[in-house]
Amino acid sequence: MHKIKVKINGTDYENEVEPRLLLVHYLRDKAHLTGTHVGCDTGNCGACTVFLNGKPVKSCNMLAVQADGADLMTVEGLARGGALHPVQEAFLDKFAVQCGYCTPGMMLSALALLKSNPKPSEAEIREAIEGNICMCTGYQQIVDAIAHAADLMGQSRSA
Amino acid sequence: MLNFDEIFVTRNWFGKPVRRDADTRFVKGEGSYVDDLNMDCVYAGFVRSPHAHARLGKIDTSKAEALKGVLAVMTGPEVAALTKPVGARAITRPARQHVMATGKVRYVGEPVAVVVAEDRYTVEDALDLVEVEYEPLPVVVEVEEAMKAGAPLVFEEAETNVLLHDTLTHGDIDGAFRQADLVVKEQFRIQRFSSTPLENWAIIAKHEKGTDSFVVWANCQQPGRSIVNVCGCLGIPANKLRFIVPDSGGGFGIKLALWPYIVSQCVVARKVDKPVKWIQTRREHLLAGTHTPDCVVDLELALKRDGKVLGLKIRDRQNDGSFVHTAGIYNLIKFATMVGCYDIKATQAELMSIVSNKAPTVQNRGVGKPAMIFTLERLMHRAAVQLGLDPAEIRFRNFVQPEQMPHTTPSGEIYESGNYPETLRKALAQIGYDGVKKEQESLRKQGKYIGVGLSASIEPGTSNLGYYYTSRGTPEYMGNAEGAIVSMDYDGNVNVLLGSVDEGQGHATSVAQVVADMLAFTPERVTMNTHMDSLVSPFLGHSGCYANRFNDVDMGAVIMATKKVRDKVLKIGAHMLGVPEGEVRLKDGAVCSAAEAKKSAPFKDIATVAYKQILLLPKGVEPGLKEVAYYKNEIAKMPGKEDFNVQMTHSNSVHAAVVEVDVESGMVSFRKYVIAHDCGRHINPGIVDGMAIGSTVHGVGTVLLEEFIYDENGQILTTSFVDYMKPLAVGLPRFELTHLESPCPTSLLGTKAVGEGGAIGSLAAIANAVEDALAPFGVKVTSLPITPEKVMRAIRETKVI
Ligand code: FES
Ligand code: FES
Repeated sequence: MHKIKVKINGTDYENEVEPRLLLVHYLRDKAHLTGTHVGCDTGNCGACTVFLNGKPVKSCNMLAVQADGADLMTVEGLARGGALHPVQEAFLDKFAVQCGYCTPGMMLSALALLKSNPKPSEAEIREAIEGNICMCTGYQQIVDAIAHAADLMGQSRSA
Repeated sequence: MLNFDEIFVTRNWFGKPVRRDADTRFVKGEGSYVDDLNMDCVYAGFVRSPHAHARLGKIDTSKAEALKGVLAVMTGPEVAALTKPVGARAITRPARQHVMATGKVRYVGEPVAVVVAEDRYTVEDALDLVEVEYEPLPVVVEVEEAMKAGAPLVFEEAETNVLLHDTLTHGDIDGAFRQADLVVKEQFRIQRFSSTPLENWAIIAKHEKGTDSFVVWANCQQPGRSIVNVCGCLGIPANKLRFIVPDSGGGFGIKLALWPYIVSQCVVARKVDKPVKWIQTRREHLLAGTHTPDCVVDLELALKRDGKVLGLKIRDRQNDGSFVHTAGIYNLIKFATMVGCYDIKATQAELMSIVSNKAPTVQNRGVGKPAMIFTLERLMHRAAVQLGLDPAEIRFRNFVQPEQMPHTTPSGEIYESGNYPETLRKALAQIGYDGVKKEQESLRKQGKYIGVGLSASIEPGTSNLGYYYTSRGTPEYMGNAEGAIVSMDYDGNVNVLLGSVDEGQGHATSVAQVVADMLAFTPERVTMNTHMDSLVSPFLGHSGCYANRFNDVDMGAVIMATKKVRDKVLKIGAHMLGVPEGEVRLKDGAVCSAAEAKKSAPFKDIATVAYKQILLLPKGVEPGLKEVAYYKNEIAKMPGKEDFNVQMTHSNSVHAAVVEVDVESGMVSFRKYVIAHDCGRHINPGIVDGMAIGSTVHGVGTVLLEEFIYDENGQILTTSFVDYMKPLAVGLPRFELTHLESPCPTSLLGTKAVGEGGAIGSLAAIANAVEDALAPFGVKVTSLPITPEKVMRAIRETKVI
């Protein structure tokens, strides 16, 4: 057993974990943050995407012990003070959510893109979510939502 | 039937793209999928067969049982001894199968033993410690081998691998072929694939000691039937099973038959006396099914020189793998869809459901309709080319015309509505058909190969259950129906429960829109808990999310229950206002006097009377404001071979695709894609568009990427998303949608099916476009998927994809 300390969505956590415990299972089973999902076992689907020290990672692809000392953000950290994040608003506005299972990972990949590229083209959006599989929507409304989120975030920056 | 105009009091919400705020939990990461339910569970996992066909020898569980943290190990034969066999639906030969392997294994991945341990990781360790002896048997993989005389038998008691074999003839088929100027025929091979919902199967089973009963949480798509099946296999009465379906991460049919795993989990839950959770891994999901069966389809069209189709024959050999419960279903759905959008008077269908040592199959999005429309529309394209007709023109000459509606097909299917020629006209205009044809010529001169493909398809909905008994006696289920409970609560808000479940279609929002317009208030005041709980939900054997039935029977039940609540609210309101019942109306969440609008009783006050001040109720009116209604589609016929409607609503579409084939790499890319679509009235256009695009992308995966590949030993080679490739955001076109609205006269709202259409219509559109692009090379498309490798081989040598 190893002791790890992490910050998740601004809250400190300290747990004893088996060295083989995947980060995604740590988040879900130990920290009880079940918004991060599992859709595959090979790092292909992106349902498990979280931010680790500000960068998107697939939490099924790393061990909890590797995250020791890290600052993590999961989907539960997007909304602040009861208000939805613009990416969340945009996903609802554009019908980008069907079953919702890919949504947390998809939104975090979208946010990673928008942080580095606030006005992405459609092609750039599609490329940025290439590591996230959505089985329901066919992606088009997700792509539209991300473009819309870029607008919403641009507005809030200029406001 | 309630008239459309009698349903709504306002028209503020129906037909509008109302945001799915009812599902805000999903963007917050607060959905409750099965694995999110935290109830001090222990975990289950399955030892799975590495052989496609083998006699099962000794299973030694002692090492696994000795591992710390392991609570129980049960073998397939032990589970079989405690359960009854799985029931068959469509097949006519006897075939006995249990929920886990017993006696022998029939496919790679078949569960042989179940392990329960304290955590997920210990389960994995313990699975490796179970030792199983196998005596390998000869394997049958493809339909041709399975049908050979002396082929190894998957079910010995059936004495054949063909478990359903029937021929259904309607109209003068011999005459049609005699009178034909041209017969076009082809053999098509369609691969195994799956819509692979992003959330794998997930089950929690708990045994309640005090009552010797079970509670199950499962992401099951069809609770109505699953309850029957689980109770049947466990040999318990229905009142010993409480069945709960929480949020589900997509279904597409693939979650219709996870109930055999519920059975085995209940058995181990009883043994360990703790809630047992099983979360299927992606590898298990791809390995052990369920899949769409692969098939070999021989299709023949008899045509006159002018392109008119006189008759159609299909010989369908369906590789149903090794699951008796669903075998044969695809054949029968193909049969019911076989004339597509066309007025064809004579048909013959020879249907064969063949078992093999491949994984179980289930009704995946469209169930046989994708394969049927693919083959039909491929052949229509081929016939046009052979007759020197434009592919659009041959379709115009054969369509069922709008003035023929309702139109009955030779086998009894009733096409109740639709304007097929207009749908095609819209698609042609949007794709710029003539322009593309010109562009094609000039690009060919530059060594660029583009092609345009059309596919006209029907999208049937609301299956008339019992169809799978077409070849047998009296079915256990008939028709289709759903139940709803609508209640107005203390605050005058409305709560809705359905017997059915939501796989991501946003039912809560669509329901809130309809109820809000029926009661003249706002969708925010309507709550629908989409979770199904057999203790409280008004379910039937039909209940579930399948066959495109939500817009028909689910909405029908909601409307009829809301109407009952509305009638009662009006009655109580009128009494409270001292106004005759006929002289009140609904406005802004209140009952008001028609003559004097200021005289009004808000719903909240009415609810106070109904629930608390019950002495103020009008005479003879019961307290409370909760109503239940069951609604059935009235046009269902009794199952029979001569005259039967397998599906009861008929949407239609034309898909038009422009593709480019890179003849150096074999890659197919999209230049333009149009979906012209008619699903009657829309409740929520934002949701409708998402269904149309999402289902089309399933088709794109089927045509270009996805395939479960088996080697000659029955080993499956595609068990991760590395080898089993799904469509990604890159590489897809921007789909252009154009809608028609031909209201369905037999559903209360005029709405029709919308969930499957793209998965049906897209296959032939893309394949026809590829064949058109490669016409200079004489390449024909007869199989799916169209992979770069197959394209290159066809261009260079075989001329056949
Ligand atoms: S669960 Fe992590 S990529 Fe699929
Ligand atoms: S919304 Fe279901 S997987 Fe994306």
